[in-house]
Amino acid sequence: MALRDLLKGFSAQHWFTPKSCRPLPLVFSQFREVLKANNQALEIIADIGEKLSGEYLFDLRYVESTVEEMITAMRRAIDAINILTQNRCAVLPGVFAPMETRVRAILNKRDDRDGPPLLWLSEVETRHWPLVGGKAAHLSELLHNPKVRVPEGFVITARLFHDLIDLNGLRPEFDRFEQLLSGHHADEEDLGGVRRLLREKVLHAEPPSGFLDTLAKSLERLAAGSEPPFFLAIRSSAQEEDMDFSFAGQFHSELQVLPRAEAVYRAYLKVAASLFDDKAIRYRRQVFPEGSPMSIAACCQRMIPAHASGIIYSVDPMAPGSQSMVAVGALGQGQAVVEGQVPTDFFRFSKGEVVQILEQVIATKHEALLPTGNTDGGLAMQAVPDGQIKSPCLDERLLLELAGIAIHLETFFKRPQDIEWTVDTQGVLYILQSRPLLITESAQGTPRLSEKLEGYELVAADVGRVAQQGIGAGPAFWVETLADLKSFPEGAVLISHRDSSQFVQVMHRAAAIVTEVGTPASHMATLCRELRVPCLVGVPGILAKVAPGEEITVDAEDRRIYRGRVVELLTYQASTSMDLHMAPEFRMLRRILREVSRLNLVDPLMQEFRPEGCKTFHDVLRFIHETAVLELVELGRDDRCLPGGLARRLDLPIQAGILAIDIGGGIAPDAPRDQIPFSAIRSIPFKAILQGMLFPGAWHQETMPVSFKDMMHSMMTTPQDTLSGQYTGHNIAIISETYVNLCFRFGYHFNIVDAFCHDVERDNHIYFRFLGGATDIAKRSRRATLIATILEAFDFSVQTKGDLVIARTSNLSQPEMERTLDILGRLIGFTRQLDVQMTDDQAVARYAEAFLMGDYGIVADK
Amino acid sequence: MSETITRLLVVDDEPIVGKRLKQVFGKIGFEIETFTDSASALAAMAEKSFDIVVTDLKMEGIDGIEVLKRVRVMNPETRVIIITGYASPDTAELAQRQGVFAFLAKPFRLDELKQVIYRAMESNRAEE
Repeated sequence: MALRDLLKGFSAQHWFTPKSCRPLPLVFSQFREVLKANNQALEIIADIGEKLSGEYLFDLRYVESTVEEMITAMRRAIDAINILTQNRCAVLPGVFAPMETRVRAILNKRDDRDGPPLLWLSEVETRHWPLVGGKAAHLSELLHNPKVRVPEGFVITARLFHDLIDLNGLRPEFDRFEQLLSGHHADEEDLGGVRRLLREKVLHAEPPSGFLDTLAKSLERLAAGSEPPFFLAIRSSAQEEDMDFSFAGQFHSELQVLPRAEAVYRAYLKVAASLFDDKAIRYRRQVFPEGSPMSIAACCQRMIPAHASGIIYSVDPMAPGSQSMVAVGALGQGQAVVEGQVPTDFFRFSKGEVVQILEQVIATKHEALLPTGNTDGGLAMQAVPDGQIKSPCLDERLLLELAGIAIHLETFFKRPQDIEWTVDTQGVLYILQSRPLLITESAQGTPRLSEKLEGYELVAADVGRVAQQGIGAGPAFWVETLADLKSFPEGAVLISHRDSSQFVQVMHRAAAIVTEVGTPASHMATLCRELRVPCLVGVPGILAKVAPGEEITVDAEDRRIYRGRVVELLTYQASTSMDLHMAPEFRMLRRILREVSRLNLVDPLMQEFRPEGCKTFHDVLRFIHETAVLELVELGRDDRCLPGGLARRLDLPIQAGILAIDIGGGIAPDAPRDQIPFSAIRSIPFKAILQGMLFPGAWHQETMPVSFKDMMHSMMTTPQDTLSGQYTGHNIAIISETYVNLCFRFGYHFNIVDAFCHDVERDNHIYFRFLGGATDIAKRSRRATLIATILEAFDFSVQTKGDLVIARTSNLSQPEMERTLDILGRLIGFTRQLDVQMTDDQAVARYAEAFLMGDYGIVADK
Repeated sequence: MSETITRLLVVDDEPIVGKRLKQVFGKIGFEIETFTDSASALAAMAEKSFDIVVTDLKMEGIDGIEVLKRVRVMNPETRVIIITGYASPDTAELAQRQGVFAFLAKPFRLDELKQVIYRAMESNRAEE
């Protein structure tokens, strides 16, 4: 559908419905109620984000009470918008209800029951984690990492597990089982009976109808990308596996499984039934004495015909401070290595800038775990050919490649890793699993840490704020412009004056991030938390204290930066027995945040900008905000609702034709009723924009000569694809002391600036939308590109589509907001008629540069 | 920090509290023991003395106020800090009367607790 049609539909349905007029003070107070409720909900969401930095101590009770507060605030916002719009958003409560249910399911640990029974590893997103379990979650992260190769495959999810439980009438027994595990003094006999019954029943459970077909289709798809003969490895992926606790070897795996639906299903049942194995339950009671609901999914991956397999640790657990790492390996499948069935080769590597093999101890390898070659699959120990018995299982090239990947994965996951690898018969390296490597604390090690640290020079201490906790070390890399990110090296510490969400490009490679200005509530901070990058913000003067390339260690727990590599701190990090981000409270809060905070409804012009298009709490709030603003805009437009005197003309030295509607504190009380001078404007954001528009030279007064072709074009087509004559003569600013909503219609383009600005950074935002023009689409699009280029230079996040530009920025301090709004004011003036001059693509760069250099005269010079 | 190691006891029925504080204060050189039930915590305190006790307020069985009272009897030098998600003026006042050193509402920044504990150490030393 063309944008034009969308706009037509949109305007017809939502924007221009005539309604009755209500007393304006009432409408304004209702509008303020909406903003208040909206802000309250947004504040709670932002607050949750901050709690995830690791700098706070919170518990489950906090999670529960916060969710309740957030839901109450959401309901208040929904009620408020319905009062303001006289129930035009009556569907919102119905849209919100399932969202609320999902969040409550997370709170009740029931979020592993909703979703598809089968998911491809490549399709797994973070929201699917409860559904696919810990191991598959990590594998999917690896799969999206272009530096490593992971065997393709799919996950039979926890949804199927729960379906089996329900379908086979096992729900009462399963609930009883969970209940027994959550009691401190479970009746052993009772537990034993329930566990054996469940194990037996699950082993013979009937599949839901149609599931075997789904499975068969997935196997066909997998076969299409594999060379025959191909087999599958089916491994457990339980909810808690590889998260806080490894559950290493606790559940069942089936290897070399035939790629037939029935065989895979039977193998899956064996994996699922192992949830009720005695040894798994014993382990579980040890690590979760209070009980914790658990379900099980299974990863079904293509089996790699292994030449050799093994394990690599990215840190030597015996000598964590030594800057070396170790690997073991043997010929054939890795199962024999992890279960200690065969002697293994041992390798030690240096971890410096150039990786070197320091030591090789080669075992005599008489046997290897290899496919039986039987038609029904299976593996067996088999004799190794004479020539290979005493040779290393990997050659030097592969060893170095493996070591490089281990270093990369340590930076990627921000912790030392325990990695399972395999090399196929063609010499291609695959990663089968990567989990945090836990190093046992030496008994006397920790208490003396603070003494050991005294030997290191402190570059900064007790400064800045923690955006994300953690410890990272590496060479300092300065980022002055975003272009610097292109050469960001693996494992470096990013140092920059200010923060930017664009840093996300290198976060996987960064050991830590330090900025001179910034706030833990910024978008960058949110991204650091998602990707677990240790990050300190607001560390003044750091650029002057650290030389580019110099090695530093950032302790974003105690807010300290050391010169050099502090091995004791890095060892400490690897040896703490708990990865905070894997703790159940953190994971729960993170899931909740993901469910509520993602913003899908970004563009009010798009078709999905409807209540039904809302997927998250944030979407609902965005919709409510936009709807409330439009309600006022429309009010300002409707002469019947605007008794003379409410919309007041501005008296400016430029011909901008702006009417201002003050909803509180935006205009000095002693200002004249009409023809308000600039000096009487009290609205902080509006004043800043006007200041920019009035900047000498930014607002060119002459009319651009429009070519005949352009004129014909504008007459023929424009009225449909911009918001047409609706706004003629009414450039309206709805203002308060801290708010502006400015709708411009200059000639044929339509421009909105919506900004909130006061002394709390978190509340501040600028939303900018620009659409249309009088010329043909090529020229208009060039102008859109020009605007986008300039806004990007000022750190806006920008989306363009043809001649539509949507840009936003937020979390700026008040002075930065005012500066940015001033620039927007100049930009509005500068680009007002500029599409006429956008005759070729080079013009975009030329005008962008002129604007950035402050040469506004270029427009008039033409 | 002083030459002698500070001994810290933490009791909170939510395991994450003890785990977290063990990480944070272990790193900066404290000797720390953590408990999820107040009875075991009191048993440990009967065996040896602690410089500082951090206790949750609402716990099954013996609650934080009761822990405070017993610590004050067992070892008056021990500084007690109560952390709680349910701070009401009444309980704060009650705790105050029983000689609590500080009252902290959850969730709090770990740095805030650190500062409170440093102050407790100082007041301990001043008394000596």
